[in-house]
Amino acid sequence: MLTRGTLIYIGQRLVLIVFTVVVVSFGVFAVVHSLPGNAFVSDRVHGQALQILLHEYGLDLPIPLQYWNWVKGIVLHGSLGVSLYIRGLPITPLVLRELSVSAMLGGSALIVTIGLGITFGVLAAVRQNSWVDYLLTSIAVVGYSVPSFVIASLGILIFGQWLNNLTQGALYYPEPWSGTYGSLAELSLPAIALGFYTSGQITRITRAAMLDVIQQDYIRTARAKGLQNRVVVIRHALRNALVPVTSILGPTVISIITGSVVIENIFGIPGLGKEFVESIFQHDYNVTVGVFTIYAILIGFANLAVDLVYTVIDPRIRY
Amino acid sequence: MATAMPTPATIDYAGGTLAREQVSLWRDGIRRLRRNKLALGAAIYLGFLALVCLVSIFWTPYKPNVIGTCETYQLPSAAHPLGCDDLGRDSLSRLMVGSQVSLSVGLATAIIVLGVGVVVGLIAGYFRGAADAIVSLGINIFYGVPPLLVAVALYVLLGSGLINIIIAISATVWMDMARLARGQALSIREREFIEAARAGGARWGKILFGHILPNALGPIIVQATFVIPVAILTAAFLSFLGFGVPPPKADWGGMANEGLPSLQGGFDPYILLFPALALSITLLAFNFFGDGLRDAFDPRQKR
Repeated sequence: MLTRGTLIYIGQRLVLIVFTVVVVSFGVFAVVHSLPGNAFVSDRVHGQALQILLHEYGLDLPIPLQYWNWVKGIVLHGSLGVSLYIRGLPITPLVLRELSVSAMLGGSALIVTIGLGITFGVLAAVRQNSWVDYLLTSIAVVGYSVPSFVIASLGILIFGQWLNNLTQGALYYPEPWSGTYGSLAELSLPAIALGFYTSGQITRITRAAMLDVIQQDYIRTARAKGLQNRVVVIRHALRNALVPVTSILGPTVISIITGSVVIENIFGIPGLGKEFVESIFQHDYNVTVGVFTIYAILIGFANLAVDLVYTVIDPRIRY
Repeated sequence: MATAMPTPATIDYAGGTLAREQVSLWRDGIRRLRRNKLALGAAIYLGFLALVCLVSIFWTPYKPNVIGTCETYQLPSAAHPLGCDDLGRDSLSRLMVGSQVSLSVGLATAIIVLGVGVVVGLIAGYFRGAADAIVSLGINIFYGVPPLLVAVALYVLLGSGLINIIIAISATVWMDMARLARGQALSIREREFIEAARAGGARWGKILFGHILPNALGPIIVQATFVIPVAILTAAFLSFLGFGVPPPKADWGGMANEGLPSLQGGFDPYILLFPALALSITLLAFNFFGDGLRDAFDPRQKR
């Protein structure tokens, strides 16, 4: 499995990830620190007092030096710095907790997206040109045309209000979340709203790939052997149809991360995306840069993981 | 010897023409596009939307930004077909004006991406070497960050004008176009007619834009039509999060954002539903039209 070539490939990709993370974090660092105003604007401190505050947080230094100090903090202490809004609060534990919340939401959305997309795609392909096919492909097109906040709002309207009134509170969707992580019921609606958008793309690609594979000779052979239709479709056809589907998993993950920023803000979910938007409004630079950096690392590893999954699904691919 | 060889288009067999008349790529594509009912319907809707957008510049049923033209949270009625929002502004008027932001962001982003993405991609693909390495690295870096967050950061850096929003969004969607143009240039530069052009002493500018670009135009235009819905969607996300055109100017994402509390409160879902519906139908139309365009002009390419 892990040949020398694969290891070298992984090494090259890790170098690219590190490079990307450094460039992105420095870029964002430079951008947020050159913005007019600062985290202390709302405190109305001026003159000497402001200078002392800026000096205390190292904000009076030149930007490259500030960035160097920030990197040193990460490498030496594993610390992303302190919050400027809630002064002196260490960011790292906060951001890590929010990352786990976002990861749970994103992971659930990924399961929804892959589950829905592949099921719909296979069903549409097996029943090509029937009403099932037309219905499922229409749902797919609607899926990637309707913004996630629209799906989320409809969900709130239907489950949070209509069904609530109809069942006199028995079926009630509570928001915002009661705890940090939310129950399975609370998680379901945001996860579906988030996953529905990308499931459309996966339906489309699965359907096309399945149609391609189903016409091939070895499928006819499998049927001629007398295998059950279900076995032929799932074990013989789907396995090969999954190769092109894997290729869009990377963009899918990015799309889910992007969407989660919006979804978390609608449902009041205490995750990274909500923190990002708040930190921008609060001029809490260190949090903004920290969240950005974590996202860049996440996407780098997600893409690497997808490329490695490729080799498992299609043994012909070698790096 | 002197008899001219008949061209394939004019061979007559037993009185009937077998080969069809020769048509240009463009005529052929337009014919295929017109046969596609979904794409045609989408085109008609988009034409209607463009008309609404033009009309809204000069006329709306009520003044879109005047507070208190009617009662706050008024439900749809004869006088106000789409009801009124939380500040008592007529929703229909605001919906009409909102189309200006969506359409101009979509089209302007597509034009910027066409310009920047194509030039950068062609140069990378044609010259290869250092130019390609730099461009490819740039593409990889931009693929490594969530586009919405980059747009937010640029929005905050540049300020809240419409042009800044367009620039911020363009910066997050140029990569696909650059990658496409690069791939096209890489493959077309090896063809014989490019060699002939080079042997004939053509400069690189002439080769890039006179010989390579026209041959890559089909997929590039198709890609550009897919940039439009993505740009509109990103703009809607931005203004839904509060990073839109400055108030009181109406745009669909911002209107949906303003309507969220009254939907969550359970007393007036329409403030959110109508802009959400307009946005969804518009995105659907652009996607259908783009699909039709791809099938018509780029039949070999399958997604």
